[in-house]
Amino acid sequence: MEIIRNFPCLSILLAMFSAIISSALKGAAARRLNTFVVTAVGVLSACTLYFTHVTGKSYVYVMGHFPAPLGNEIRFGTLEAGMALFFCVIMLFSLNGGREKIRLEIDPGKENLYYIMVDLLLSSLLALVYTNDLFTAYVFVEINTIAACGLIMIMESGRAIEAATRYMIMSLLGSGLFLIGLCMLYDMTGHLLMSNVQESVRQIAAEGSYMIPLLVTIALMVVGLAIKSALFPFHAWLPDAYGYSTVSSAAMLSSLVSKGYIFLLIKIIYRVIGFDIFVQSRIINVLFVFGLAGMIMGSTSAIRENDIRRMISYSSVAQIGYIYMGFGLGTTAGMVASVFHILAHAATKSLLFVSGVGLTDVADDNKQFIELTGAAYRNVCAGLAFTVGALSMVGIPLFSGFISKLLFSQAAVQSNLKMLPALIVLAISTVLNTIYFMKTVIRIYTPIKSGYPSVFAKDHPLYALTLLCFVALNIVLGMCSQPIADWITQGLSVFA
Amino acid sequence: MEHCLLLPVFFPILAGVLLLLKRDFKERRSLLVYTGAVLVLGGAFAFFAVMVPADGVTLFYLTKEFPIFFELDTLGRFFSVTVTLVWVLAGFFSFEYMKHEKNEKRYYGVYLIVFGVLLGLDFAGNLITLYLFYELMTLTSLPLVLHTQSREAVMAGLRYLFFSFAGAYMALFGIYFICHFGTTLRFTAGGVIPAGALAEHKTLFLVVAFLMILGFGVKAGMFPLHAWLPAAHPVAPGPASAALSGVIVKGGVLAVIRVVYQMIGVDFLRGTWVQTVWMTLALITVFMGSMLAFGEPALKKRLAYSTVSQLSYILFGLSVMQGEAVTGALLHVAAHAFIKVALFLCAAAIIYRTGCTRVDELRGIGRGMPVTLWCYTIVSLGLIGIPPASGFVSKWLLASGSLASGIPVFSWLGPAVLLVSALLTAGYLLPVTMKGFFPGEGYDASRFTGKEPPLIMLVPLLVFAALTVLIGLLPNGLTDSLYTYAVHLLTLEV
Amino acid sequence: MNAFYLFLAVLVPFVGGALNPLIPWKKRRHMLWYLEGLVTLNSVLVWMLLLHRPLEKFTLVNFTGNLAIAFQLDGLGTVFAGLISFLWPLATLYAFEYMTKEKHEKTFFMFYTFTYGVTLGIALADNFLTMYCFYEMLTLVTLPLVMHTLTREAILASRKYLYYSIGGAAFAFIGMIFVITYGETSDFLLGGVMNAAKLSEGRNLFLLIYVFSFFGFGVKAAVCPFNSWLPQAGVAPTPVTALLHAVAVVKSGAFAIMRLTFYCFGADFLRGTWAQYLVMGAVLVTILYGSSMALKETHLKRRLAYSTVSNLSYILFGVTVMTPAGFAAGICHMVFHAFMKICSFFCAGAVMHQSERHYIHQLDGFARQMPKVFAVFTAASFALMGVPGLCGFVSKWNLADAAIASGNVMAYAGVGALLVSALLTAMYMLGIVVRAYFPKADFDYGTVADVRDPNWMMLAPLLVFVVCIVGFGVCSVPFTELFAAVARGGF
Repeated sequence: MEIIRNFPCLSILLAMFSAIISSALKGAAARRLNTFVVTAVGVLSACTLYFTHVTGKSYVYVMGHFPAPLGNEIRFGTLEAGMALFFCVIMLFSLNGGREKIRLEIDPGKENLYYIMVDLLLSSLLALVYTNDLFTAYVFVEINTIAACGLIMIMESGRAIEAATRYMIMSLLGSGLFLIGLCMLYDMTGHLLMSNVQESVRQIAAEGSYMIPLLVTIALMVVGLAIKSALFPFHAWLPDAYGYSTVSSAAMLSSLVSKGYIFLLIKIIYRVIGFDIFVQSRIINVLFVFGLAGMIMGSTSAIRENDIRRMISYSSVAQIGYIYMGFGLGTTAGMVASVFHILAHAATKSLLFVSGVGLTDVADDNKQFIELTGAAYRNVCAGLAFTVGALSMVGIPLFSGFISKLLFSQAAVQSNLKMLPALIVLAISTVLNTIYFMKTVIRIYTPIKSGYPSVFAKDHPLYALTLLCFVALNIVLGMCSQPIADWITQGLSVFA
Repeated sequence: MEHCLLLPVFFPILAGVLLLLKRDFKERRSLLVYTGAVLVLGGAFAFFAVMVPADGVTLFYLTKEFPIFFELDTLGRFFSVTVTLVWVLAGFFSFEYMKHEKNEKRYYGVYLIVFGVLLGLDFAGNLITLYLFYELMTLTSLPLVLHTQSREAVMAGLRYLFFSFAGAYMALFGIYFICHFGTTLRFTAGGVIPAGALAEHKTLFLVVAFLMILGFGVKAGMFPLHAWLPAAHPVAPGPASAALSGVIVKGGVLAVIRVVYQMIGVDFLRGTWVQTVWMTLALITVFMGSMLAFGEPALKKRLAYSTVSQLSYILFGLSVMQGEAVTGALLHVAAHAFIKVALFLCAAAIIYRTGCTRVDELRGIGRGMPVTLWCYTIVSLGLIGIPPASGFVSKWLLASGSLASGIPVFSWLGPAVLLVSALLTAGYLLPVTMKGFFPGEGYDASRFTGKEPPLIMLVPLLVFAALTVLIGLLPNGLTDSLYTYAVHLLTLEV
Repeated sequence: MNAFYLFLAVLVPFVGGALNPLIPWKKRRHMLWYLEGLVTLNSVLVWMLLLHRPLEKFTLVNFTGNLAIAFQLDGLGTVFAGLISFLWPLATLYAFEYMTKEKHEKTFFMFYTFTYGVTLGIALADNFLTMYCFYEMLTLVTLPLVMHTLTREAILASRKYLYYSIGGAAFAFIGMIFVITYGETSDFLLGGVMNAAKLSEGRNLFLLIYVFSFFGFGVKAAVCPFNSWLPQAGVAPTPVTALLHAVAVVKSGAFAIMRLTFYCFGADFLRGTWAQYLVMGAVLVTILYGSSMALKETHLKRRLAYSTVSNLSYILFGVTVMTPAGFAAGICHMVFHAFMKICSFFCAGAVMHQSERHYIHQLDGFARQMPKVFAVFTAASFALMGVPGLCGFVSKWNLADAAIASGNVMAYAGVGALLVSALLTAMYMLGIVVRAYFPKADFDYGTVADVRDPNWMMLAPLLVFVVCIVGFGVCSVPFTELFAAVARGGF
């Protein structure tokens, strides 16, 4: 079983090398290679998950056998492995769901480029998940940004390029802040490996020296990652980036890229700064307030939106607000809820994007609501899947969204001061979610005579299968939430 | 034997329902025979029940503690005799009158049902039963008001409904409290609420009493909720107006007596603001009713205003809470019932035979319809209070009771208002007689020639006129027993 | 009986309903027999369960933590399940005849039957979470029924219905979280499950949360100011309006509030607090508002819907008195009102079905053409007004009695509100009756010549209901005693 310890490193390398190989391959081959790699990484991660779950410990993998101060480390526990597996699954589904669109929307000569970007994205995500070194994390954050930009730009339409540029600028701003924070931390502690940094930070906190620089550092890193993961009010880039890219990109961007940054933030909170020090800093209150504001403002913008893709994108702003609100509660329960919501939201949002494209397909790619009237009758399975996604987002029992809502509120109740605002905003946000999601559902189920053609599941088996998998994933998250919540709790406990 | 109480109540109701459900009779005659037979039989049952002493009978339990319960006491007997007399005679009168109206079957069906309901009201042995029949009375008498289906009638009917239910629900508010605090719901002279509860919730019970007086007072046309009466009574067919104005309004009086004297108790109310306000309202109504009647040109409407005024004579007598006044009030119940029915029947006969509805059209009518007008005159005198007719006796008792009560201001103000109102009564009733018999020199009254109504209409009129005179001439037996009962109600030592 | 049957009773309508659109019916009548048989069978099952109550609970799945989807049958659940299962077969019979003129029958009946299962789920829920789940589901399965006609009006109404319901549930959710977190057990327990120490510590907070969840569930029970969805939802076919928006859905809201008040927070904790006065105030306003709006409304079904608004708050008034007697009176009105209102709605539906007329001013002279329907309607009207001898009087009597016995001055005012509302009820119901029986003197019956009483499938339920209305009114004692026992926990 010891060989499994090598798997995380192996999967990062596998993804990276496949990107390099793909550059020499034709589109179709690159696609097959990519599918294979994602699946293989998934299998490797599953093995790792099994291994860490059975042992219940977290392991450090020293790259090239150089010890601490010089070398680079990977550290993985059950949570990391599970997250990696989950990312692979979502990526696979998202790519399969958008496969036909990729073929249609991307210049055939550039198809391999797309898969290069996807491979890079995968490798950087895995690195973000596994790495135990802050600087490595920074490097992969940048790689991730570039890959994401590529995924947006690949459409080559004016709007996509504009969106990508905007995304690039905001992302680089975020990475810049992160880098400054990193520098300051290095100044104070003299380490880059997370475990070493944490020791020094503890010392600093115990001595009480450098408190203000420490606070500034935390703020810089948190804000940097918050910008990259589109926390309100840093979300201006998001609707365009998600709205004008190809559907797989949008699904991956919303459910993987931003989640990768958030997962990195969790790692920094637990491994670099220390959960208790983080909680004591006033930053969590800021996160809490921004989270709440995001929950409301994201939904309000979504209600005003007339374009289904942009509506779903704005909904992401609201959902990211939920996650940061969970951080802001400053309790382990809040963290568990946030991590669960990362999963739930990833599963739901990519489902919505993918099924949304099925609906717009039967309206001649028109994303305006008025054209979508009755679309669910023309594409039955996309309609059903969209309904499931919408219900989950609204928080109807039996779907994943309900469990996140439940966990968030249970976490909120434990905090005296933040309980009422959190609960009330949760309720209001539910109402707002209902308004824009169910409005859409009712619209797509309103029959109308239209000239648009109908689409049947048997003509698009892959697409239908993907949707089915997404729906199943959602229901699994919603019905068997207890083992997952236990797993997250256990994972967080071995995290630090 | 106790079940003989149920018979007069449910026999007419069932007979009426049966009539409504039945297909139309082939001949009008059989309809009349059926109705007449039921009326006579129902009347007979009612007299039988009144004569034969019987225990109370429980029908079923409406809520856990409160049964639908029938029992006859003196008050019930007195009212039910009045009702029966009026109802049966007015019923016979309508056999002729209804010839010129449509939907006869419906009319008779409803008429029979209301008969049973009214007897049920009189036979009611506890407050809940009283309330049940009170509401049923409103609902079942509604079709009588609506009968002509003119726009005016429908509006009047809805108004009648609204006011009646407003009153009933005001009363129900009080009933809830009485049921909660009272020891029993059987009618008990002196009240059923323990002195402790009364003392503890004094304000509450005063409000409750006031609401109940006001609420049940709606049916008796007491100011300020009288507006339905002048609208609703005249639009019904003639005999129905007579019955409504003569008898149904008395349901309100009965309920007020039951509540004030037998539920809450006069000792509690005497001297409180409730009594003062009640007396004031009653006197205002007496005066106002007469004034409005005086200014009203349409005969039936004039009579309806007169009812408003006369009913408040009764209420005033009750509000004084003194033996003689109460006796007077009770006597006036019967006296006014006979008189007002007779007046309305006269009006109906005139309308039926000549089509005249306005007072100024009746000039010279005495030439053609002497018997009718004589009856009218006799009962008018009764209503004004001129001896020897019955009104004199009751008004005398009312006035003397009021004077003897010793209540400041009202003891003399009351009789004064009654006197003024009597003058006004003369003013609005007698012109018909004077112009009718003495149309003036050279007036051509030939259009009335030979218009005297047939016997079936005249007999009821004559009976009522005779009764009016009879009570006026020989009041002693009746007043004595009523006085005994009033003393009992007031829980005074004899 | 085995507790598993509780789950079965919830499941059967789902399975049976889902099969309906899949089976290729040769004749429409076969579908009727299938549905009617299914629903009746399930009702028989429910009644057998009620008569032989399983004592243990049935746990279906563990949801998260100590929470589970579980079913059990206690007193309150018995009453509600009994009510639902009694009405459903009759309503299905009626609906089948009514729907002859509507499209998409199969889908309609699928959701109609689903709703039966969901409502039973609410009635039989063992804990707050289960009830909440079914409560949310109820919104979703009834949504297609409201949308059924797919007119613009129906779409707007269903949207509003959805926003209001889910929004309400979102606030009720807060209450659920508190019950889960601070309750000593997650099951329903008469008298409340909250941890006493926590309650006294954070008194005002708990009261605030109670108010939130009261109004949250109150959305379905149409409490002011969250009731505008109900009259609008009247665009649905009449069987839906009658059974769902007069009984199943709205009563689920009231039922949930009963669970919340008496089985979670505990009436002893709430009595005499500002929260009680607040919710009671809202309820009283609703009573008057509903009746006044009903009087103003000229559309027949909407008038009845406003009447429902007002009557639902009668039930809640009983609840907010927060004594066992008030609770019993609330249950009593819940049951009795169901019969009265479904009866009047079915009459309205019969009128619409037979004549395509929707407004009250078009009903002149109908009583002669549809004597049976209007006789029933008149009886239902009298019952709603509270004429003694019919069931409405009994429940109002109990409500008023409980209010007076509580000694709460605001409850006294509530009695006044009940009576004012009763007066308004008399006006808006009898306005219709008078019009139908006494059209204008020169009314031409030729204009309504083709209007007839409907066939037996519509009349039979009406007959049953009217018999119940009278029966409950005349021998109310066993029923009120049962309800009192439920409210005391003795059943």
